[in-house]
Amino acid sequence: MATLASSANPFDIQARPNRLLAQALSCLFFVVCIGLYMHTSASRHRENPEDRVVPNATQLAAGIHASVLEPAEEDDYIPADTASKWERFRHSMIVKDTISSGRRFFIALALLIPAVLLALHIGLFPWFGAGFLRFVLFFDKIVALSLLPILFIVFGIDEWSKIALIVIGVAPTMILDVTNMVKAVPQEQIVKAFTLDANNFDVAYRVVFRQVLPQVINSLRLNLKPMMLFLFAGEMIAASDGLAYRIAIMRRHMGMDVILPYVLWVAFLLFLIDVSLRILNKRLHPWFQA
Amino acid sequence: MVSGLSTPSAKTSLQALNSAPATAVAAAGPCPDPKAAVRIEHVGVSYPIGKNHRRTVLEDISLTIDPGEFVVLLGETGCGKSTLLRMILGQERPISGNIHVGGSPVSRVDARSGYVPQKYALFPDRTVLGNLTMGPETSKYHILGRLLPSFRAFRREVREEAYRQLNHMGLQRSDANKYPHQLSGGMQQRVAIAQALMMKNRVLLMDEAFSALDPATRSSLQRLLRSVWSETRPTVVFVTHNTAEALFLGTRVIVLARTGREDHCGSRVALDMQLPTSGMSLRGNGQEFLDLVDHIEHFSRGDRATTTADPELEATTPAFPTDGDPL
Repeated sequence: MATLASSANPFDIQARPNRLLAQALSCLFFVVCIGLYMHTSASRHRENPEDRVVPNATQLAAGIHASVLEPAEEDDYIPADTASKWERFRHSMIVKDTISSGRRFFIALALLIPAVLLALHIGLFPWFGAGFLRFVLFFDKIVALSLLPILFIVFGIDEWSKIALIVIGVAPTMILDVTNMVKAVPQEQIVKAFTLDANNFDVAYRVVFRQVLPQVINSLRLNLKPMMLFLFAGEMIAASDGLAYRIAIMRRHMGMDVILPYVLWVAFLLFLIDVSLRILNKRLHPWFQA
Repeated sequence: MVSGLSTPSAKTSLQALNSAPATAVAAAGPCPDPKAAVRIEHVGVSYPIGKNHRRTVLEDISLTIDPGEFVVLLGETGCGKSTLLRMILGQERPISGNIHVGGSPVSRVDARSGYVPQKYALFPDRTVLGNLTMGPETSKYHILGRLLPSFRAFRREVREEAYRQLNHMGLQRSDANKYPHQLSGGMQQRVAIAQALMMKNRVLLMDEAFSALDPATRSSLQRLLRSVWSETRPTVVFVTHNTAEALFLGTRVIVLARTGREDHCGSRVALDMQLPTSGMSLRGNGQEFLDLVDHIEHFSRGDRATTTADPELEATTPAFPTDGDPL
């Protein structure tokens, strides 16, 4: 049998690439995608120099410049000629849209805290479990987007309908996930806590909640994308600002030079939140190994 | 109690708790022998299997455990010794009979009993020191009480006591800031014992506490537990299926064995035997020790049932060696 070091067969489970090769492999598909894009863009621009479907580097740079340093079309603000780049950036389209979407996103995130606490009680207290579990299981099966018209009627087309859509879309799954985490806390730990004279509150919040918190944060990390998805759905249908609103507007104008930087910006923001939560988890819970 | 249990044993406990008549324990009157640390009266337990069948695990168990006794519950796998322990703990309720700890009936898990399980004995999110101080702190100060100035002085005292217990258990002061996953299995169990001892419960219940350890660590923990017991004389109920361990640790060995193979035949007390308080071991008179092991295992297989104070056994027991190493 070939040794782990010497085998270079990618279909050999026991073969491992060396560190340098692993790094190169991890970059491979990024390079391939960029290469394909550039190739497609170049060939389309050879046929039509004004092509906007696959913008070239110059068009992309202009789009990024417009997003980052120019205000949105609907804004009244007109930067003075002498305005600094920082001043222009503060009033730019991308900052305005990021703040609008971010506000909705973080309010929805805050509203998930009661959902997590409800899950703790469902998993731990039989009375709560009996009362809520089936309801949440049923609610989880409702397609959140199908509720969007109802949300618009109930909350109007302002902020709360979009926030409610995120919460309704993510909360049931999150509740079920956290309930399972709570149920997975070994019974021995709970019994032990009672023998140490802990009351129900101590067991729930000082034993079980502390133990599941790192997993809750990990679950939140996994739910970041669905949250953004529901936010985008709401913003694309009815909003006057926000990242998805801008993408929807730009689609009408074939503004791929703005859409592509926006898409990458959203991905970067999610990546940043994910990394921040991962670091926070590691700092707050050094005992957690997962 | 809580729901949603992940481990099979825990699920069984929950099922038993839910299926048991709630009045079984609550209806128990005052303990007839208030001096007893634990009193078990005609306790039976069975679990539903299928729609119309029940499997009897324990039937008509009656025991009195005096303060300061080191009782070892012995028996083959599935004979119900852990079930009996969980009922003393209050984690499960008997179908019939009642259980008293410290003179009052057991209806739920509380601080009358300390508990050292085989696994998950420590809270993984707390350091060793946090694990040791949790009990006394929770017991004396609830969440808002911790804001009182007196809490700081109390916490200092508790920490000093925790360091003393650590030292007593053969652990270093530097281990206090480690998390359980940074400790070996043996060290974790030492901390778990210290954690239970910090609470000074009326009875210490240990469920196969050393079963997952390697033989050397197990032997060292057996010696440690025996020495701790000799010094402070807590009431201990220790569940094991290792007869040699039972003979080394216990001052009394209770063997549970099934009375038949059918589902309606539960386990009963097959043997209830007093041992010398100074302990027994293989060293000194190995053959006799091994004979006694054979004799007890004969009972635990359910080959023969007897009650307390078998004259033949009482006559032979004191002749066995009383110091040295366990098997």
